[in-house]
Amino acid sequence: MKKAITVALCAVLAAACASKAPGPSTSADGGEKKKFVVGYSQSNNAEPYRAQLNLQLQHYMKKYPDIELLPIADAKQSSATQVSQVQNFITQKVDALIVSPTEPAPLTAAVEQACQAKIPVIILDRTVNTDCYSAFIGGDNVLIGEKAGEEAVKLLPDGGNIVELRGIMSNQPQIDRDKGFREAIAANPKIKIIADREGKWLKEQATPIMQQWLAQHEKIDLVYGHNDPMALGAYLAAQAAGKAGQIKFIGIDGLAIPDGGIRAVQLGQLSATFIYPTGAEEAAATVNKILHGEKVEKKQVLGTTQVTKDNAAELYKKYDLSGQG
Amino acid sequence: MTATTEPPPPAKAPGESRLRRTFSALGAAQAYIGLVLILAVGIATKGEVFLNETNLTNAVGAFASRGILAVGVTLVILTGGIDLSVGSLLGIASMTAAMMLSKYSLEPWQIVPICMVVGGLFGFLNGAGTAWLRIQSFVMTLAMLSVVRGLDRQVSDNVSVGTQIAGPDGKLTPQAEAFQLFGTPGHNLFDRIYYPVLAFVVVCVVFHLILTKTRFGRHVYAVGGNPTAARLSGVNVTAITIAVFTLSGMLAGFAGPIDAAYSASADPQAGQSYELDAIAAAVIGGASLAGGKGTIAGTFVGALILTLLDNVLGLNAVSDNWQLVIKGLIVVVAVVLQRPDLFKFFRGGSRS
Repeated sequence: MKKAITVALCAVLAAACASKAPGPSTSADGGEKKKFVVGYSQSNNAEPYRAQLNLQLQHYMKKYPDIELLPIADAKQSSATQVSQVQNFITQKVDALIVSPTEPAPLTAAVEQACQAKIPVIILDRTVNTDCYSAFIGGDNVLIGEKAGEEAVKLLPDGGNIVELRGIMSNQPQIDRDKGFREAIAANPKIKIIADREGKWLKEQATPIMQQWLAQHEKIDLVYGHNDPMALGAYLAAQAAGKAGQIKFIGIDGLAIPDGGIRAVQLGQLSATFIYPTGAEEAAATVNKILHGEKVEKKQVLGTTQVTKDNAAELYKKYDLSGQG
Repeated sequence: MTATTEPPPPAKAPGESRLRRTFSALGAAQAYIGLVLILAVGIATKGEVFLNETNLTNAVGAFASRGILAVGVTLVILTGGIDLSVGSLLGIASMTAAMMLSKYSLEPWQIVPICMVVGGLFGFLNGAGTAWLRIQSFVMTLAMLSVVRGLDRQVSDNVSVGTQIAGPDGKLTPQAEAFQLFGTPGHNLFDRIYYPVLAFVVVCVVFHLILTKTRFGRHVYAVGGNPTAARLSGVNVTAITIAVFTLSGMLAGFAGPIDAAYSASADPQAGQSYELDAIAAAVIGGASLAGGKGTIAGTFVGALILTLLDNVLGLNAVSDNWQLVIKGLIVVVAVVLQRPDLFKFFRGGSRS
């Protein structure tokens, strides 16, 4: 037993020494040839939007040769996993840390720990409940919801019936995309949301829900999906019922992948989609500035771009990174 | 273990055994009563909106891939095991189908057997781990759930793959056009039959016959009822165990292309938590997780109950939160009703 403890202690000490070793070289300002190490904890790699974000971040980080992005840590939707990932990065003494929090509350303490360890933290996409970070970069889902609502008002000048496919009810983007949309369509009192349900962001959840709506409601004029897959799942159901031509579909995300929203706009399946910015380019630039002692804006809220048939091809080309590692 | 030590029920006095038989017959019939109740509620509240071919086809079609998983899960449950990996296996099979179609332009009839081989291979590993390494099937298939989901995400690069592939002329390629028949809404065989529903029914019929008419079927029940007795009477328990897991995997592989066609896209998350729906269908249909008890007919009815319940609640605009509550309660009620022994309380009698 005693021996085991001694061995364990030695191991801990050795580990502590090992992790301390590169310390001096990274903390010094004067070192010219040093390479900065940046860690990124992603909330869930398996969402197409986040896969795109990862790809873009790796791409834009390559523009800064003195910054090395460690392999992206995937929290797989678990806050607990993400907290330990952040703590691991702190132990590794990374020079900067990027976090896309799964949920605000559980990640707050971990971000504060990083802050106390004097590691600059960039919060990407979702918020935390503390001010102890260097920069927040993210889209504005209320704004995107509003833009989608304005487009709906434009598409239904004489009023009409809308059905709304929501993301997971407790997700902040769901709450915001719903809020903004409802505020914007209030501009025309003849526009009504006649049904709304939780499609859990998934295409295959949306199809049967839309089938049920088509059975219940004589007149549906517009489908608002909180993301493109749900809007497209509803489109499949409407197409099967022979009603796709009479209904307009609006989505959000606008991913530049063959199965994504921009292509769907080009094909005429969606009337419009709104690009939810990944913030990868901005995050890379911000990390670079922070590491070189430049000032950065603490809160960087990104706008959105409406994808229409006219600009779809151009936007696809701009955001498609599939050809580049 | 209690199941293995229990001796076969000895012949009792005629009166009592008839009572028992009545109760167990009632138990088996509970699933049907549930189905009738849901149909009645649907007709009473929504009339023709509910009871028409399109709505019912849509409802069964949406559940068909999970129903096929439920058949495989039932086989495993009958042997006293559990298969938690079927959702992940469906996911990787649907991704395989979409990739075979988009990258290699394979014909749909080539894609199905490939997907079944992929699913069957992982299923075989489940069986091998359970039978040879003696890992509990819950643990083995839980691990497989994770491994296969990881592989699915890796091969797809976390990006969904569409199945409506356009050729250079802007129209769908002939393969993609044909692939839609696997279940893209609005596409029917001979303009009449919705393939997912047909596939689900055929799978149920085939496996009902296998379980009731073949020696293999009798052995599956024997292994679940009492593995020791089964082994002593010459049943190859290891082979049966590996066979049911392999079949379950192959069925998940068969369901993969249906799932991909249904959404016209294979999502790296496809099939997540489908194993729970599949197990629920089997349990509502009367399968016992202790093994040896259950039927494919019951699982079929259990699947119908789950999907029609979802349909009726949806048509009546019941909120999503209450839908979750109601669906959970239905599982408990169904299971309780299938346990005639619980009703002994009400008869006041107790037997030693």
